[in-house]
This record gives sequence, structure tokens and C-alpha cells, in this order.
Amino acid sequence: MAAGFKRLIEDSREMSRRSFLALAGWGAFGVASLVALYQSVKFIQPNVTYEDPAAFKADTPSAYPVGSTTVIIDKRVVINRDPDGFYAISLICTHLGCTPRYFTDVTSDLIASGAAVPKDPDTGNQATKSNPIVPGFKCPCHGSRYFRDADNFYGPAPRPMDRVSIQLAADGKLFIDRSVVVDHHYRLKV
Amino acid sequence: MRVIRAAFDEVYSVLAQITGSIFRHGLPLTDKIAARTALTNFVLHIHPVRVRRSWIRMSYTLCLGGLSFFLFIVLTVTGLYLMFYYVPSTQHAYQDMRDLQFVVTFGQFIRNMHRWAAHAMVITVWLHMARVFLTGAYKKPREFNWGIGTVLLLITLLLSFTGYLLPWDQLSIWAVTVGTNMAKYAPIAGPYTRYLLLGGKAVGDATLLRFYVMHVVGLPLVGFLLMVIHFWRVRKDGFSGGL
Repeated sequence: MAAGFKRLIEDSREMSRRSFLALAGWGAFGVASLVALYQSVKFIQPNVTYEDPAAFKADTPSAYPVGSTTVIIDKRVVINRDPDGFYAISLICTHLGCTPRYFTDVTSDLIASGAAVPKDPDTGNQATKSNPIVPGFKCPCHGSRYFRDADNFYGPAPRPMDRVSIQLAADGKLFIDRSVVVDHHYRLKV
Repeated sequence: MRVIRAAFDEVYSVLAQITGSIFRHGLPLTDKIAARTALTNFVLHIHPVRVRRSWIRMSYTLCLGGLSFFLFIVLTVTGLYLMFYYVPSTQHAYQDMRDLQFVVTFGQFIRNMHRWAAHAMVITVWLHMARVFLTGAYKKPREFNWGIGTVLLLITLLLSFTGYLLPWDQLSIWAVTVGTNMAKYAPIAGPYTRYLLLGGKAVGDATLLRFYVMHVVGLPLVGFLLMVIHFWRVRKDGFSGGL
């Protein structure tokens, strides 16, 4: 076929009708196969999904006391309120996508076993022998751990969990969009 | 009396014609007829007409390929039974699985047969591969069949993985979340591959249906066709065991 194609390029008059038709036939077969492959891939790619929308409304800001951590498990989102404002965490482990769970203590067992727990790079908090209890998240799948502000410090997680967009909607409720990742310093001041 | 005799002869001749149409020769009492039996019988022709005892020595093949195929049949039959009660939707899947365990007569038995046969098949296929490797049975002229075998191993593992989601419990959902996140780490096409596998951004209704279709039709069909070629090639490439 390659030789026939070369002859077709060089001088079509030297090509027999039979090899031209064979070439045309195989060419059509190849094109049809590629089209079929393209169609197959596009067919199984959903254009519409009926999944839970990325954006949703939570409660009004007054429902979240300063210093609180609220896990909205159905949405896989955490709302933290610190003295400097609100921020939302996408509760999806950055290792392989499971849902970490909130615990008031994610460090004392490590401290007790003699392991050094690194400092939280954002808040500067550190679990020590004298103050071993620090709150945070533990992933049930492979044991990754995060501080309360989503910074990873233990296990296979390669990076902190994503902070996602949190805003105040016109009706006074918090509006969270899980599809928009924001900087980890972002805070919503209310 | 003569009437009964005539009726008996009539029935006998019909039965003789039926058996004669299935087995086109007499009982395999001589070597020659035994050879014809193997040659003309669909089930027996998986082996050549003449087989040396050393070729199919138990201690050489350990029956691992045959065991894998036997387990595939067990899985096909028990899987068919399970399909009568199982609906692949997030609304029904878990409850249907529980019903199979606690409500359906022999449901627990059939489900466990399916489950244990699936585990066993993964083990026997791996061991079969190890046996073929250790005896050098993958070498010329059997390289192509080794290649088909590796694809069959992959299909076995994919069948296990897709079936794992179907009970729709916590274990299955997170196992598939983890598995498809691994696919996401593939270069360039990773995230798109995960989207196609899941039929969305997270494991959900679309994922369950996709995995179900691949589990009960797609993968077994491809697997069966490859098995047919695999067995045919075993026969045509010749046995590797002792000469």
C-alpha cells in the first residue's frame, strides 16, 4: 500500500486501476474507522450530567461562631470562621479523592509515638509535647492528615486541600462555589 | 405382542437416528474410532486426536488455564442469576444486594459463589501466567498467545474492578474513587479519561451504570472472544510440555 501511494504521488499514470481502487478502498476504510473511533469517544462523553451543582447556599454568617469549623458532608465542603473572616475548604483528599473527616485531635498519637509534627505553614501553630492536641482532618483511605486550615502534614497527600470560593449572596446567606479554587490566604470578611 | 415389538423397533430406530446424528460413529472401542471421536466432537477437539500423556501431565500444567475457564463459566452462570434481582441504580443497588443476601432463597449462596469465584479466578489467572512464564511456554512459537493471555489477565482484573462497584456500599464507592483518581494521574489524557470512566465529576449514577454495562456485557464479551482464540492457538501452536 505504501509503495502504491508513493507511485500515486510520483506519477498517477503509472498506477493500475486495480491498485488505485485498492488504495481508495483502504483509505476509505481507514477514514471510516477513525470517524467511528471519534464518534465512540464522543458518544460516551456526557454533555449533560445530573450531578449536584458545584455552587450552593449555606446558612447566614451569624450561624457560624468565630473559631468554628462546620463540615457540610453532603456537599463535601468545610466552612471555617476565623477572627479574620470566612473561608471554605473542598473536603476532597488531594491524594486520591476520598473524604477526610474532622477530628478535634489529629496529632497527639503522633507526638506520643515520638514523631515530629511539622508546623502549620499558614498559622504557625505546632503540636508539641506540652501542647499535643491540634484539630484537623484525617482521611480514612490512606491516612493522610491535614490541619484545620487544610494544610497537609502527614501521610501521602501531596498538597493542601483546595480552598474554594465563598461569598455573601444578596439574601445574606453564604454562597459557595466548589468549582472555583481560590488562594489559601483568601478570607471573606463579613 | 407383535404390535409392541413393532412400536419398540420404531422408538429404537428414532433414538438411533438421533444419537447417530450427534455421534457419527459407533462406540470408541478401537483406536481408530477413538481418534474419530476426538476429531468430530466439538468438546473433545480442544485436544489433538493423539495426546501424549506427558503433554497434559497434571504436575506440569496444574490445570490452571482450565480452572480459570471453569471459574469464568461459574461466574457467567451465577452472574446471570444475580442479574434477575439487581438493578444498577444508586436508588436500588445496595438494597438489591441486601435482598439477595437476606431475602432471596439461595441468594446468599449464589452471591457468595460469584464473589469467591471472582477472587479465585484472579488467583488462578495469575498462577497460570506464572506457570507459563516459569516453564518457558511463552517462547517461540507461542509469543502471540502469551500476548493474548496478558490481555485476558487485564480483562480479568477489570472485571474484578467493575464488579467491585456494583454492591454500592462505602467500600465500593471509595475504592472506585481511588481507582479512577489514579487514572487521573496519567499524563495529558488523565482527567478526561476519568471523566469518561465516571460519566461525570464524581462517582454517581452514571458511573454505576457504566461499570455495570462493562461488567456484564462489554468485558465478558471481549474476554470470551479472546478466550476462543487463546484456546485455538494452544491447540495449533502445540503443547509445550515434555516431548
